[in-house]
Amino acid sequence: MSTPAHAIGIFTTDANLVVRSWDSWLAEVTGVSADDAQGKAIVKLFPELEGRNLLSRFERVLTEGVVEILAPIFHHYLFACAPIHPSKNFEKMQHCVTIAPLRDRELIVGTIVTVEDVTPRLDRELELAGQLRRADDEALRLHAAEAFAEQDEIQTTAPLVEALGDESWRVRRMAIDGLARHGGPDAIKSLLQTLRDEHNNLNVLNSALQVLALSGVDAIGPLIEWLNEADVDLRIYSAQALGEQCDPRAVAALIQALEDEDANVRYHAIEALGKLRAAEAVEQLTEAAESHDFYLAFPALDALTRIGDPRTASRLVPLLEDDMLRVPAADALGRLGDEDVVAPLVALLNRPDAPTLVIAQALTALYDRFEESYQEGSLIADLVRPAIKATGAQNLLDTLGETGDDALRALAVVLGWLEGEAIERALTRLLGRATARKEVVEALVRHGSRSATLLIEQLDAEDFDIRQAAVITLGRIGDTRAVEPLVGVLTTDPELVIPAAGALAKIGDGRAFEALLGLIGHPEASVRQAVIAAINSLGHPEMADRAVTLLEDPNPHVRESAVRIAGYFGYAKCTELLMKRCNDEDESVRRAAIEHIPYLEDEQVTSILADSLSNGPARVRASAAQAFAHVEGTIASSYLLAGLLDSDDWVRYFAARSIGMHGFTEAVEELARLAQTDVANHVRIAAIESLGQMGGARAVAVLAPIVESDDTDLARAALGGLGLIGHPDAVQPLLAAVRSPNPSLRMDALRALGIRGGPGAVDAMEWSAASDPDAGVAQAAIDALAQLATPEAIATLTWLTSDPNRRDASIDTLAKVGKDHIELIGNGLTHTQPAVRRGTVEVLGRIKHSRASDFLSRALDDPDALVRLAAVRALSHLGTRIAERKIVAMARTDPDTNVRRTAQKALKK
Amino acid sequence: MPFYRDTLGLPDSAFALLRDLIHERTGLYYDNGKNELLTDKLSPLVVDRGFNSFLDYYYLLRYDSGAEEEWKRVLNALSVQETYFWREIDQVHAVVDILVPQYFSQNPLTPLRIWSSACATGEEPLTLAMALSESGWFDRGPIQIYGSDASTAAIEKAKRGVYRERAFRNLVPRLRSKYFSERERHWEIQMELHRRINWRVANLAKEDDVSMLATNTQIIFCRNLFIYFSEDSILKTLKMFYRMMSSPGYLFVGASESLLRLKTDFEFQELGAAFVYVKR
Repeated sequence: MSTPAHAIGIFTTDANLVVRSWDSWLAEVTGVSADDAQGKAIVKLFPELEGRNLLSRFERVLTEGVVEILAPIFHHYLFACAPIHPSKNFEKMQHCVTIAPLRDRELIVGTIVTVEDVTPRLDRELELAGQLRRADDEALRLHAAEAFAEQDEIQTTAPLVEALGDESWRVRRMAIDGLARHGGPDAIKSLLQTLRDEHNNLNVLNSALQVLALSGVDAIGPLIEWLNEADVDLRIYSAQALGEQCDPRAVAALIQALEDEDANVRYHAIEALGKLRAAEAVEQLTEAAESHDFYLAFPALDALTRIGDPRTASRLVPLLEDDMLRVPAADALGRLGDEDVVAPLVALLNRPDAPTLVIAQALTALYDRFEESYQEGSLIADLVRPAIKATGAQNLLDTLGETGDDALRALAVVLGWLEGEAIERALTRLLGRATARKEVVEALVRHGSRSATLLIEQLDAEDFDIRQAAVITLGRIGDTRAVEPLVGVLTTDPELVIPAAGALAKIGDGRAFEALLGLIGHPEASVRQAVIAAINSLGHPEMADRAVTLLEDPNPHVRESAVRIAGYFGYAKCTELLMKRCNDEDESVRRAAIEHIPYLEDEQVTSILADSLSNGPARVRASAAQAFAHVEGTIASSYLLAGLLDSDDWVRYFAARSIGMHGFTEAVEELARLAQTDVANHVRIAAIESLGQMGGARAVAVLAPIVESDDTDLARAALGGLGLIGHPDAVQPLLAAVRSPNPSLRMDALRALGIRGGPGAVDAMEWSAASDPDAGVAQAAIDALAQLATPEAIATLTWLTSDPNRRDASIDTLAKVGKDHIELIGNGLTHTQPAVRRGTVEVLGRIKHSRASDFLSRALDDPDALVRLAAVRALSHLGTRIAERKIVAMARTDPDTNVRRTAQKALKK
Repeated sequence: MPFYRDTLGLPDSAFALLRDLIHERTGLYYDNGKNELLTDKLSPLVVDRGFNSFLDYYYLLRYDSGAEEEWKRVLNALSVQETYFWREIDQVHAVVDILVPQYFSQNPLTPLRIWSSACATGEEPLTLAMALSESGWFDRGPIQIYGSDASTAAIEKAKRGVYRERAFRNLVPRLRSKYFSERERHWEIQMELHRRINWRVANLAKEDDVSMLATNTQIIFCRNLFIYFSEDSILKTLKMFYRMMSSPGYLFVGASESLLRLKTDFEFQELGAAFVYVKR
């Protein structure tokens, strides 16, 4: 028999299971020709079908229209024939068979049967399975597991399931990868069985749990059932697995498991509820925390922190008195609490035996949350500052020496709120620790001139990082006592020249002038740039006269710097010299001069630029093309059009850009040509972007096809360009690009839609925000909705606050743009879904505006208790008295206990 | 009014493009929080080029026919050249006291190659040379030491062999006096020791550069570089090292750069007070 090139054969039958077609592969492997097979019933061709109970599968296909698959692991073959190549394991060819209905419209008229020869694959799997059992050779087992995992298809996952218990973590990990890839429902059943049978084997359990988490296949039902099994270990592991599955359907069962007689089951149920962020379990978890049973309270506190419901914070405060629970309670309060937890935390800090670092971390977490959500971190700082006594401050200072870099930030933040020489000295010493440096600098800047002396001392520190941080901080503080020491640094510490120049610029004291001027010829461009910036900040009265001399300096670096300074100020007495420098012998000086002359009101400018654009070396011509962007009027048009034909890429690039900035429509056709055909990609991009700026139907016609380009940069530029064009034809390509397989192009399309809007734009953004699998794209969609800010877009954003996966991002984004759209946001309070109304309240609570507060007071009448609760909390936080009377009434009469409690607390403030 | 570097904004879209391009070409990765750091390092180059936007600079790096030269300047600007002599010395001791004797007991005549692959201004290969010299190994077996860095400026400084006080903070005065000559405000390496190092410019993101130095090399030092790399870049570099270096081969990474969480073919081993990754 000749060897067939492929391994699949297909035949069809009619509704009576009579063969209608029979291909050449089948003829080869069976020895039955098409002529002999066609017209014969399959039971005649394969008499053993009925005895093997396979005929019923065909009949089911005909009667029910389902697709039947005959897996080789169970059925081995459809018809008996020899393997094409000799097999170590099989006398007969092994088949994977698919039987599907053939339809004529609604009627099933026959079957189509695919027979695939999987003998080599099964041989391979058996070989690999054998290798996986080689206890003496880890490398071989690992290789086998990897090979299994990498197969396109596998017929049985049993060897991989077995490998979950391998003693080698590498093999187990590979088996997990393979099962996660291949494990369908059958594999998961095997896994669950394994879990059940071998739950004493930790390796198997851990691996199985990981696969369940990765597999995405529904195992919730059986796992929930096992929570009621007699075997306590099985209940424990079920609770664990349910936590890993991240499926909210498990919550109710896990809450019930909190009543389990076995503490370990309760423990794992608590952990699982935390992983599921089960808000429904907050009450029970709080009770577990309050039980003072360390074994359960600890995970309960952790779970509450994960869930993040602030209602529970006040009930956790008493736990600060419990020696065993004080540390996790402090941590939880930092992450859940509001300004009311500051006092008890600081009271603990003021004790001699305080867990100082944990409290500092809790206060910092509170500060960070308030800063991020409300830009009100200072509220926390203002509450902490007067409350910390001498003992508390000393505790913080004493802990500094014992704290590793990772935890240092928290101490630096809290210390930064305090004052006193010992504090400032300690903070200054912390300048050398990278993880705390940013906070230390901010704190020292706040302390201002009080810190200046200590910082000036640090300019002589041996540690470079400390010296550098001291330089930067002194600049920000702006104390003129630092000028002379900083001038000293400028001239003696080469590695700190740039930050010293920056600091002197910020201080703005003229005493630095000469030292800075002495550096304008420095060989390093970065130093010259820093020094120029500093000199420009000083605005020294002598600079104009000095510039006249410096513009003729023999050193080209000096001339170039002088050009940049004189050009910045536009000194009248330097105008002629600046024009002269446009023909300087040094190219860098020429380019700098060309860059600056458009800002001088002088009639020579155009002719000099035109001459430079036509006659200079390439980089000079490019500079001229760039400079023409700033020449007012249409006079630049013809020169720039000529620039589009220049031989140098960068001349064409800048000519295209400058044309776009001016909007010279006479250049559209030439730009179109460049956009479509220029040899240099960046020139094409510049032309595309300029066409976008100019707009119109022609621009759309050129840009739309480029969106489909394989070159991402071109496609991106085209999307950006279309986003600028108001023409209605620009929308469709953008909407199509929102579905691009490339996430970065989807983001660009969304950004463009956020700028121009158009029919279907909001729908597209909504779809992306809610469904795109890429988090960056989803965020881009949310940002685009905020950018567009039409009533429809804002309504979509408020709706998104009800999506648990998008809630935080939507609220943050709406809060940022909220002040300009309060009325639109306020409409969210009339949404039918309470979750949307709650999200709206959250957003309004972050907008400090009387109109937002008006809306919040309306929310106090919401039928949903959680909405009313959120509104009370938001108004309390905003400190507005706008609805005080209503809150007074709610404190007594609201039907919900939590609302009444929160209202009472709000009134106490 | 022309800009100054403060007006050179780096909008998120341009940052992402530049960051990804730099990652692709150098392995260095700047996450989203490092926008300002990248701006600070690159803005002098952007301004010097006469550009007024980072996007123009991105196009230069990506498309200009002369971009190779500009990439050298980029690498010089981005490289972290802060290092010092006798840094994380346990690993050097492991080489000198364990690996070198082991190697020469089996290969008395074949040169031992040691490559310091992110040597910045040269302190690491010179530390190795000093330690080997102190143990007398240069007289007992052929040893070749290579020091490379992606930054041309760093290698230029290494070739000059001149160091400031800060570089000696971990080195005992006796060794400084022995191997360096004091000049005004700096110290100069002794020529005999300096000549033992072959200095090269090599970008670990480029296979050709790695191949040139890793092939037939028994010991590679790649310390305090991976902290700046993404996981993908680390894995790519490790794969090249493993493929190209000798067998057995020994890779030393920084103390804070454990490779255990990554899937590599190297095996972790403790050697004295140090750890090393071994190619068998």
